[in-house]
Amino acid sequence: MRNRITDLRAERGWTQADLAQRAGVSRQTINAIETGKFDPSLPLAFRLARLFGLKIEEIFLDDQ
Amino acid sequence: MQAQQELKATGRLLLWTFAWAATLALAKFGPRLLWDAQQAASWVAVAVNVVVGIGWIVAFTRFLRALDELQRKIMQDALAVTLGVGWVGGFAYVVADTAGLVARDVNTAALPALLGVVFMIAFAVGKLRYR
Repeated sequence: MRNRITDLRAERGWTQADLAQRAGVSRQTINAIETGKFDPSLPLAFRLARLFGLKIEEIFLDDQ
Repeated sequence: MQAQQELKATGRLLLWTFAWAATLALAKFGPRLLWDAQQAASWVAVAVNVVVGIGWIVAFTRFLRALDELQRKIMQDALAVTLGVGWVGGFAYVVADTAGLVARDVNTAALPALLGVVFMIAFAVGKLRYR
């Protein structure tokens, strides 16, 4: 699963640590999601979508 | 908030770990050094160790719940590898011992120590994988 978190975060001038704090996870988790090493749970995906003011499908993109 | 919860759960787990280790040491060395092998005192020491051990299990469960989802995954993967090594290695030893293939007895304390090392390696690998 691909995602646009790096771009969306950069648009807002947030560091990974900023986003991690807002989302209530570790910076390592944000980094792993951005690099595609880890897919977030649905509750965390919703939390991220809320933080960016977007729908989940506007952030996370199916590879297939 | 998340970080505070993790810190709190980690602190509690540390306290329970020290308490468990202390009661284990008491149960192990007490009969020889403190109460001259009186059975009643030894039973009490073992019971206290088991009760504190149950507290440690509860604290560890709460610690896992307090972690964020990636940290929990890393921890669970490491625990799965540790359980697998203990299970497979333990049964392999039992079978080899039954078949008379083991030349000398292995100290039973070696298994938990081995599992500790396996867990630390698996945990470090997980941390590196998701770096």
